[in-house]
Amino acid sequence: MRTKHRLPDPCLISFSLIGGLIVGLTVLALLNLAVKELSDIPFLISTASDSDVINAIVVTMGAGLNAVLILLIIGTPLAYVLARTDFRGKGVVESLVDIPIMLPHTIAGILVYLLFMRRGLLGAPLYAAGFTFEDAYPGIVIAMLFVSAPYYINSVREGFEKVPVHLENVARTLGATRFQTFMRVVLPLSVRHIFNGSILAWGRAIGEFAAIIMIAYYPFVISTLIYYTFTTSGIKASSAVAFVMILACFAAFIILRLLTRYTGRYDDRV
Amino acid sequence: MIEFDHVSLSLGTFALRDVCLKIRKGDFYFILGPSGAGKTVLLEGIAGLHSPQSGHVLLRGEDVTGIPPERRQIALVYQDYSLFPHMNVAKNIAFGLKMQKADRHTIERRVEELLRAFDIGGLRDRCPLTLSGGEQQRVAIARALAVEPDILLLDEPFSALDPVSKEKLIEDLREIHRTRDLTIVQVTHAREEAMRLATRVAVIIDGVLVAEDGAEEIFNAPETCELARFVGIENILEGRIVSSSDHVVRVDTGAATIIAVSDLSKGEEVAACFRAEDVTLSLPGSSRSSARNTFEGTITGFTPMGPLMRVSIDCGFSLEATVLRDTVKEMGLSPGSRVSASVKASIIHMTVRTRVIGD
Repeated sequence: MRTKHRLPDPCLISFSLIGGLIVGLTVLALLNLAVKELSDIPFLISTASDSDVINAIVVTMGAGLNAVLILLIIGTPLAYVLARTDFRGKGVVESLVDIPIMLPHTIAGILVYLLFMRRGLLGAPLYAAGFTFEDAYPGIVIAMLFVSAPYYINSVREGFEKVPVHLENVARTLGATRFQTFMRVVLPLSVRHIFNGSILAWGRAIGEFAAIIMIAYYPFVISTLIYYTFTTSGIKASSAVAFVMILACFAAFIILRLLTRYTGRYDDRV
Repeated sequence: MIEFDHVSLSLGTFALRDVCLKIRKGDFYFILGPSGAGKTVLLEGIAGLHSPQSGHVLLRGEDVTGIPPERRQIALVYQDYSLFPHMNVAKNIAFGLKMQKADRHTIERRVEELLRAFDIGGLRDRCPLTLSGGEQQRVAIARALAVEPDILLLDEPFSALDPVSKEKLIEDLREIHRTRDLTIVQVTHAREEAMRLATRVAVIIDGVLVAEDGAEEIFNAPETCELARFVGIENILEGRIVSSSDHVVRVDTGAATIIAVSDLSKGEEVAACFRAEDVTLSLPGSSRSSARNTFEGTITGFTPMGPLMRVSIDCGFSLEATVLRDTVKEMGLSPGSRVSASVKASIIHMTVRTRVIGD
């Protein structure tokens, strides 16, 4: 509900001005880049149609999506347990979930690398079974999964917590098992949070660089490509790649928001 | 039908301690208690939503202590109605039947039947959040009855309703109880509801069951002083029996002597309890009445209660009387007026001054 203030509130005005700085900074940075890039359209087009760039964007977005799909399957149950139960050591589990948020990304990369490299604790048996993570697509997915998991889990957990327990109780007394209750009541009412959690996690995943290059320098994700282009061909080439990625991200997020604008809006009360 | 055998159950700050109760088939059973006394926990315990730390829960003669709620066939209606916001009214009502894997025709027929029975046919495709409280309430009850339970649990069903919807619901519940062969257990903190509907009443205070009896006994002849206070008896005068003969006792309260009918003996510490509506007011000096207790006093204040007026009187002790509003006008009563208040000896209920039963 939007309310119109006839008399501008001096507090809100000063807060807006201060807060505007951060928005202004982003706008300035984007405009600065956009003006430069749009002044050389042919170069931009050739960059955008370069197969390396297209591949990197597809790999990045695809691996991010892959990580989110895995999170949907393994993160959702964890989020429900954290939302609905109280057990000894829950605080420890919560901290473990949050660790990737706090760790520098290079450290996350080392953790993932040590576990999943060819001689790693999990990497070795998986390699023997035919799965390679080092310098391979699965490595990118694993690194992305590791760094984006907390964003998904926390967001979905919050959604589950907002579903009134009474609704679950009533469903149970009407004959639904806990799993049926979860599928028919809890999940549909948490769609928005699951979606938002997925977007957050996906955004976090496609932005990852440090953790990914530790385990999989190849195939190039977009960040690796930009860094590579920057070190080999300089700022003009790399900023063109960056601009193409910005456009791709904007398009993807706008489409997703539009598609799910009315999803899961049953209840603004809870 | 429902039996609690020394059930103790704690849940966060709420705890039930060693609760024993028996609810018989066909009872309209009320669980009364102040807010936070553990009433809802008790109700959820019956439904199987919490398992007790000790003791047993029996349903229909069988121990169901470890049986999950979905296998107990007990319907529960919460105070907030708890309709599924993502389903329309018809789907809400059909939910239980779907869970029972009823076929589509049976579901449709049952839903239609209930929509008609509760006069909510026009709401069938509406979303719960667009309904009024009374409408939501009826949908919630219809949904609960869809699975044809023999036990219906109601958690404060009247608390959020306007007076008109409340009257309607009371009528509906009477009807449901009568026609559907249901055992109803209702939790409330409002005594008036219990007085009107209950066949039996349990009072629970701080997780302890302090009384369990027929509605008549609980409200009119409470066993303890605390219970008398809880069931809303306005006049409770504590004292000691100074004489007793032929079932008539005289109680000295310090400020007055009260004559009442009782089998208690001399020397007992008692409280004389009587309701405000049992007090008759007259102007001082008017003709003698048959009431054995007459106290003169000064009116200290009035509290309007619908068509009635609660009159507070200082007779050396404070006394509450209820009269019609018109009576106040006719008698010309106002704060400061002198009146005499009389109470029949036979209407006064004597309780022994103990703390809690079983303590």
